[in-house]
Amino acid sequence: MELVLGMKDSYPREVKRKREMEFVLRNLFEKWGYEEVEPPTIEYYSTLENTLGDEAKERVYKFVDRNGKLVSLRPEFTTSIMRMYSKKEMRETAPHRVYYVGKIFRYPSSPLRVEDELTQLGLESLGKNGVDTDAEIIALALSALLALQELGIEDFMLDIGHVGIFQGVLSSFPLSPSEKLSLKSLLKKKDFVALEKFTSISSHPLFPFLLHLPFLRGKREILEETKKNYPLSPPLIDTLNYLGEIWDIISDFHLEKHAFINLGLIRDFDYYTGVVFEGFSPRLGYPLLAGGRYDELLEKSGSSLPACGFALFLERLMEVQKESIKKDRPPFISIAYPPVFRSSIFALAEKMREEGIPIIIEEQKGEDIQVLQGKELIYQGKDEEKIKTLIQERFKSWES
Amino acid sequence: MGKLTISIPTGRMKEESLALLSRLPQCPPLDFVNSRRLVVEQEDLPWRIIFSHPKDSSTYVEFGAADIGIVGKDILLERENEVYELLELPIGKCTMVLAAPLSTSREELLEKEALRIATTYPNFTRRYLQERGITANIVFLYGSIELAPPIGLADAIVDLVSTGKTLRENRLQVVEEIAPISGRLVANPVSIKTHSKEIYLLVKELKGVI
Repeated sequence: MELVLGMKDSYPREVKRKREMEFVLRNLFEKWGYEEVEPPTIEYYSTLENTLGDEAKERVYKFVDRNGKLVSLRPEFTTSIMRMYSKKEMRETAPHRVYYVGKIFRYPSSPLRVEDELTQLGLESLGKNGVDTDAEIIALALSALLALQELGIEDFMLDIGHVGIFQGVLSSFPLSPSEKLSLKSLLKKKDFVALEKFTSISSHPLFPFLLHLPFLRGKREILEETKKNYPLSPPLIDTLNYLGEIWDIISDFHLEKHAFINLGLIRDFDYYTGVVFEGFSPRLGYPLLAGGRYDELLEKSGSSLPACGFALFLERLMEVQKESIKKDRPPFISIAYPPVFRSSIFALAEKMREEGIPIIIEEQKGEDIQVLQGKELIYQGKDEEKIKTLIQERFKSWES
Repeated sequence: MGKLTISIPTGRMKEESLALLSRLPQCPPLDFVNSRRLVVEQEDLPWRIIFSHPKDSSTYVEFGAADIGIVGKDILLERENEVYELLELPIGKCTMVLAAPLSTSREELLEKEALRIATTYPNFTRRYLQERGITANIVFLYGSIELAPPIGLADAIVDLVSTGKTLRENRLQVVEEIAPISGRLVANPVSIKTHSKEIYLLVKELKGVI
C-alpha cells in the first residue's frame, strides 16, 4: 500500500488549516461579487496545448480516454475557465466574475520534489479590460493576502509588472526572429551574464535598461526615475504610465502598503498580454500568488475574450504560516456510557453539539458514565447535570 | 531587512572568492581561507557568509537559504537551478570539454556504434549529446573521470579542463571544447526583489573591482 510517488496525504491538522484559508478567501471573493465555478478535473490535451509553454507541456499528466483521445489532468484553472466562458452565449452575457478552488496536477520540475498535486484558489474577471479592471484584480490580490494575516501570513509583498516592458524593449532591438527567441529564452532563464554578451545589441541605447530590469523595483517613484534615466520608446513610456495609473487607483484604495512596481517581473506562462503580478514572502523562494491579464488566450482557437485573474497556492501559503498558528487543537471530549443512559446521553451530546462543542459518544460496560478529554479522565459518575457544566467549562477554557 | 546571506563554495574557489570580495571598497579582511567554520556572522562584515560544498552553492541560493552566492558555471549547467545569473567572475576559469584517448581520432570516436561517455555532469552531458546529435550511453561517476577510458569503462569523458595536465598524464586529448566555465554571482528570485538595492550595489561594486 505505497503512496504514489510525488503525491501527498493530508491529515486532519493540515486539512483544517487549509480549510480555514479557503473559508477566509471564499468569503472575501463572495463579498466582492465573485461566484464560484467548478470546471472538470480533466480536459482534452488539445485544449491546453495552445496555452502552455513547452516546459509546462512536458509537465502535464496525459493519458488516453476510451475513444483514443488524449486527455490531461488540469495543470491550472485559467484555460478551463476560458473554455467555459468562450461559448457564444457566455460572451454575450459578459462580464463575469468567477472564482474557483481545487487541485491542479503537474509533474514536478525535479523527481525529488513532492508537488504533483497542489491546491489553487483563484479568480478571473472575464469580458472586461482597462485600467480599472486590472486595478480591481490587484486590489483583490492584496486584500486576499491581507485577509490571510489573521491566519499567520505575515510580511508578504506583491510585485506588479507588465509584459509590455519586455515586449517594448525586444521590439526596439533590430533582431532576427531566431535572435529574438534566444534573447527571450535567456530572459526566462534569468541569465544576465549571457545577456550582457549579446553583442549585436550591446551598443543599443536601451541595452543598459534591459540589463538593469531586475533591479528596477520600488514604489511609484521608480516610474519617474526610470523615465529620467533611460531613453525609453513611446510604447515603453505608455506602459510605465499605465502602471502609474494602476498604482494611483491602488493607493486611492489605501492598499499600496505591500505593493511594489517591478519592471523586471517575468512570469512563466506565455499567455499573459498585459499587467502581471506576483505575491511572495521573504521566507519562501516561490510565489504565493500569481496572475495577470491574458486577453489573447483564446486567439489561437479563433475567439477572443479579455480576462484578468490570479491564483493563490495554498500549500505554499501554509509553508509560510507562523508556527503558533500550526498548534494542535485541544483533544476532543468523549462520553462513555452504559446502555441504560443511551437516550439521555445522546440528548445531552446533541445539546452540546448545538452549542458548537464537538462530542464523541461511545457505549461501554459498567455502571458509571465516564467523561474523557483525549485520554484524560475528567469525570466518572452518574450526575448528568454535572457533566454538562463540566464540558461547557472545559470548552470555554480552550476557546479563550 | 537584515544582512544579505552569501554562499561561498569551499574547495578550490574559496580562496579566489574571498580574495575577490575583499577587493570591494570598505570590506574588512576576510581571513577565512583556512578556517573550518561553515557559518560566519560578524558585526563588521556586510554579509552573513555560509561556506557550502561547491556543488551545493547554487542550491542554497535557489531555496533561499542564501540570498546570493558564488558558484561555478559548470554547476549551473548541470543543476539548472532557478536563480538569477547576475555577473561573470574572473575566478574558477576552465573549459568543459569532450576528451578521448590519444589513440582514438575524433572520427573514430564519433563513428563508434555503442559510445560510452563518463562524466560527473550527467544532465549537462545528456543535453549536449542531444544538441550535437550524438547517441551515447552516459556513465555517471563521482570523480577521477580520467580513469574511465584507459580502464575501458568509457570511450570518452565530459569534464572540466584547466591546464590540460591531468588529461596529458592520462594520455587523453580534447576532442571538442563545449563551454567556457568560470565563477558566477547568482541571486535568489525572491531575494532579488526583497533586497534589490543591496544586490544591485554589490553587483556594481564587484564590476568596479573586476
